Amino acid sequence: MEKRLIKKDALAGIAKKMADDFLVWTPVKKEDNILFEPLQKGAEPFFAYLNSKNAPKNVFFPHTESMMKYTRTEKGMVFSADENKADESVLFGVRPCDAHSFVLLDKLFDQEKHKDGYYIAKRQKTTVISLACVKPPYASCFCTSVDGEPVSSDGADILLSDIGSGYLAEFITPKGEKLTKYFGDDKADAAADTKKSEVAAKAKAAITSKIPAHEVKPILDKNFDNPFWNTIHGKCLACGTCTYLCPTCHCFDISDEVKGSDGVRIRSWDSCMFPMFTKETSGHNPRPSQKERWRQRTMHKFKYYVDNFNSIACVGCGRCVMYCPVNIDIRKIVEDISKL
Amino acid sequence: MQNPYIPYPVVVNKIITEVDTKDIKTFRFKFVNPEDEGKYSYIPGQFGELSIYGKGESPIGIASSPTQKGYVEFTVQKAGVVTSALHEMEEGTVMGLRGPLGNSWPLEFLAGKNIVIVGGGFAFTTLRSLINYMIYGDNRKRFGKITIIYGARNPGLLLYKDELTEWGKRDDLNLNVTVDKGDATWKGKEGFVPAVCKEVAPSKENAVAVICGPPVMIRFTLPVFFDLGFSKENIITSLEMRMKCGIGKCGRCNVGSKYVCKDGPVFSLAELDKLTPEY
Repeated sequence: MEKRLIKKDALAGIAKKMADDFLVWTPVKKEDNILFEPLQKGAEPFFAYLNSKNAPKNVFFPHTESMMKYTRTEKGMVFSADENKADESVLFGVRPCDAHSFVLLDKLFDQEKHKDGYYIAKRQKTTVISLACVKPPYASCFCTSVDGEPVSSDGADILLSDIGSGYLAEFITPKGEKLTKYFGDDKADAAADTKKSEVAAKAKAAITSKIPAHEVKPILDKNFDNPFWNTIHGKCLACGTCTYLCPTCHCFDISDEVKGSDGVRIRSWDSCMFPMFTKETSGHNPRPSQKERWRQRTMHKFKYYVDNFNSIACVGCGRCVMYCPVNIDIRKIVEDISKL
Repeated sequence: MQNPYIPYPVVVNKIITEVDTKDIKTFRFKFVNPEDEGKYSYIPGQFGELSIYGKGESPIGIASSPTQKGYVEFTVQKAGVVTSALHEMEEGTVMGLRGPLGNSWPLEFLAGKNIVIVGGGFAFTTLRSLINYMIYGDNRKRFGKITIIYGARNPGLLLYKDELTEWGKRDDLNLNVTVDKGDATWKGKEGFVPAVCKEVAPSKENAVAVICGPPVMIRFTLPVFFDLGFSKENIITSLEMRMKCGIGKCGRCNVGSKYVCKDGPVFSLAELDKLTPEY
């Protein structure tokens, strides 16, 4: 594996140099938020961040994207599919939990049957550069409970780890290796590896929030009707913040927008927290209250995804914990389930 | 690779108003590009997404049989935004069709067995597809006795009246059409589907019941079949859920770990028992 050492203040310069050649997504400061956005000429990336407010899943699965366009003619409508085209791009500086989410989303969007070309095209054209959490950013981080680690190359093509004297850049995949030239010629030695192992172990130990995520699957298998499900949703506002910010939530709506003779079919993020999500034309709703919606969200992450893809659909980023306006805490829900 | 989200352009070739209330019509579509017909190779029990410019899509069971070449038919009740727009359409209009989607009636499992078809009201559409498939030419030999029990609220609400007449003339199937309440001209059976099932009393020997209908019909029909000794493995039905993508991605039609759109819509009662009762 190719490895390089780079200076601490070199990150922004590397990102900017790459931005001359392709589309580069970096964390940028926008008012009070850190968001991943395409780096514009003259703009500064912001790497001294904890984690971005939104999960960067929008790089592959935008909030809203066009699936096809159509035009009304005298004979009816003429379609033109939006080609599954994507530009060569780099996602620079994502946290390992969010990079882990891409591996999980791949399982859904890139299945053997029914491939989702819109997602796959962007994913294939994008090189993911992870920025390890040598200091876990939040008290609510729990990646180590859901198959993650604060210093991990899971889902990354290049991993950058702060080893004190500078960053160790590891080129994990052939896709990552293609970008070696942007990282200078300072090859990393064995001492850098040792140092990285040290910071990784220290970072891992610093994640103190733990949940029994792997223990609840057999309990969920048997407790669909448990009265416990009455206890979560009482204060839920059905705002959908948890699903909007979640790196692994992938539900979407498909709708049509028309202007004159031209129309576009778009898909937009949707949420299992919304009453309309499953409401049928007849008025029947298989998930009639917030109780069933919370059961769905919990089951989907800790049982259904495990049944279908052998992975828990949670990366422990803690966004839903931090930003829920009524402090519903998925960690407590999982904890409670483990005691059923 | 075919983009599964993009519909095939189809032309509305024929519209048949099925019922007196005029809110259920059968739409016959022909593919604008003839080569698309081969790509739309389907099995009875599958469904398609009817796709209308500016309105959206609606998942509807395929009512024609793959043995009917040159077109695909869907029988649609006027209900929401898309189906209402569809009902306003005229012959010759071009629209879109996605699919075929979902699993299907389990033809391999049904082969060699006696088949009991039970349908109620508007839910008869994919059963009609299955019947026309089973009785087509040499296909008939692959199945044992075929018993059909089909009911509607009144004679004017029966679908596919011409076909019912044709099927009634055949001696290789046992057709029982019933209405909840007849009218002056009705000469057939009167009575609810469960009662007629009890009266016809199909044997469980080497038999599979394929049941589709409104929830109330299903609720009262299942006990009849349990009393006749049918096992849950040998009772097959089809589910409906709100759907968007049709290929297990958009996340709304799951019942437990299974997506009705891609793992269903067809399930045996034994399979349904293993899922959560959330549909």
